[in-house]
Amino acid sequence: MEITPENVSEGLRGADYVTNQRVETAIFLALALDKPLLIEGPAGSGKTEVAKVIAAMLHTELIRLQCYEGLDEARALYEWNYQKQLLRLQADEHQGLRWEELSEHLFSRDYLLERPLLRAILAPRKLVLLIDEVDKADEEFEAFLLELLSDFQVSIPELGTIRARERPAVVLTSNRARELSEALRRRCLHLFIDFPSLEQERRIIELKVPDLDARLAEQAARFVGALRKAGLKKTPSIAETLDWARALVRLGVRELDTPAVRSTLGLLLKHEDDRSKIEGKVGSLISHPHSR
Amino acid sequence: MIPMREQLLRFVDELRGGGVRISVAETLDAMRAVAAAGFERGPLREALAASLIKDEADRPIFDRTYAQFFGRSRAAEPRTPDRRSGARAASGGSPQTGAGVAARPIPEPEPSFQKPARKPPAQKTAAQMGEHQELRAEREAESEGAQRAGGPDSQAAAGIEALREARLAAVERVGFEHYSEMDYETARDSLAILIRRFRLRLGRRLRMARRGRVDFRRTIRAAIQHGGALIDLRFRARRPRHVDLLILADISGSVRYAATLMLELVAGVHESFRRVRSFVFIDHLAEAGFEDGHLVMTPALDPYARSDFGRVLGELWERRDELLGPATLVIIMGDGRNNRRPARADLVADIAHRCRAVYWLNPETAARWGTGDSAINQYARHVTALIPAQTLGELERALVEVF
Repeated sequence: MEITPENVSEGLRGADYVTNQRVETAIFLALALDKPLLIEGPAGSGKTEVAKVIAAMLHTELIRLQCYEGLDEARALYEWNYQKQLLRLQADEHQGLRWEELSEHLFSRDYLLERPLLRAILAPRKLVLLIDEVDKADEEFEAFLLELLSDFQVSIPELGTIRARERPAVVLTSNRARELSEALRRRCLHLFIDFPSLEQERRIIELKVPDLDARLAEQAARFVGALRKAGLKKTPSIAETLDWARALVRLGVRELDTPAVRSTLGLLLKHEDDRSKIEGKVGSLISHPHSR
Repeated sequence: MIPMREQLLRFVDELRGGGVRISVAETLDAMRAVAAAGFERGPLREALAASLIKDEADRPIFDRTYAQFFGRSRAAEPRTPDRRSGARAASGGSPQTGAGVAARPIPEPEPSFQKPARKPPAQKTAAQMGEHQELRAEREAESEGAQRAGGPDSQAAAGIEALREARLAAVERVGFEHYSEMDYETARDSLAILIRRFRLRLGRRLRMARRGRVDFRRTIRAAIQHGGALIDLRFRARRPRHVDLLILADISGSVRYAATLMLELVAGVHESFRRVRSFVFIDHLAEAGFEDGHLVMTPALDPYARSDFGRVLGELWERRDELLGPATLVIIMGDGRNNRRPARADLVADIAHRCRAVYWLNPETAARWGTGDSAINQYARHVTALIPAQTLGELERALVEVF
């Protein structure tokens, strides 16, 4: 696919992704300029989804590296399969192989455990690399990542330097558990994704849950929008909204009224505090299209 | 192409003047981005934003500057109140320097681009780029957009969470001494975000502290990777700390914002401690709690009383058997201004001796410590550490350190 703003816009629509100018431009630039895209925003606003959509749009594979505290190169890049090497050594013990032959075997690709980053580098064609929740990883790992992102090559002492044939499209997401380094920010294009507007959310519901009555979709979007403003411990994500909408369809709900919402509230609110806070107010949070 | 390049350089310069940090590499990125995205309406703006603005908190400054630069000439229009936050963000962590809020600390190398002369460059802009019909239409749309952004329904435009983040980032850098009621409300509104972040940072720090007992089983497992050499020690998850937290916060006029925000922040992480007792004081000690986001104190304090920390210390000392033990971490928040009443620093020494640690957080500007009726230096001698906490950001960092 040739990267033009129009193609990107069309591709996103083709991937059933409701978007706006901001997201479109950022994705287009990330692809056109071949730069990593750093996405921030509240949890559940669809940051990870962007990477999936880019992969769908480019008809390519998505490799995901989930970051966490203590993530190191061995888990992210590669590791030698020590157990397998040991087995091999023991199996070869009586064959009297010379060391040169043996080491050649032991440090070949057969004994290499490829982790997501190495897989992204070795890939024969362009793919999408998602580095999820990079803020959860430690500072040292971030520094290592910077180096990798700048030239997409890695030196494995036993195998030599491997350079990516096609630089993958890189998407990083962050929830701001800690501030990312300035250096990382400088290298990336930046995109902030907020919760969708009422209109966008309604379109998302209609696209993903086509069985839901249009009027109900609108009401559902309104209700979730109201919940997000209610100052909850955990605001409902877009994915949860969709789960809820699907539940409404399966339950055959025709009218979004207090009993219907109450019985399904668990799909949206996952904290007991939030639940008890909202339960009494459900009636006032539902909007009635005909009474407006 | 050259006028556009010139234009962009000036735009970047203006953003830097507004307090946004932009590197040369990012400027180059912006140029490439514009070249790729084109001069059409939305894309130009978003291309610049994606390549230049790396922190959502800077977005309002960007939007404003963009409207001024690529929008229709707005020089005649008086600047709206939202300029405040821009000036604040620009003055960074030291709002007390210079003329405070009113001054925009833009360096002065290019006088023609300073505020009073805003109109000429904007007109030049129009002349240079007149050939781009669409830009003109965009300019109109943008300046409308910018006007809306300051208006009451800006929430709908910016998205509620983004707005909160941006507000928090701005208010985080304002000194407590310069707080208005509005700043306080903003801080309260954004507190949920701050508490979430505070929790994560605190949890992280507590976990990162590599102490405790070695987990032998996991260490041996890890050692397999290294041919059986025990070089990678694994530790047992630490049991919940047995720490009782005792907060003493001065809520007399001068420091009340800092004190209430701290109490709320601490209330958000109470599960990290075995017990949390919060007290507020002016001239007496009162237990503090939160009900529905409002500070409740028992007994009620006279808000017009004059601070008397010496007496408060006396009251605390009398209840030492109940409140102060070897596991107690005492945090005092106040400016140590005692209206020349007896400071009773000896009691602080006694408390420090009895407890695990005593930290004093001072929301006052460090330069004023020990001046006038401030007894902070007398107290400072006996506390474990005296830490400045002049802004919400500093307060959070101080608490992470202390806990």
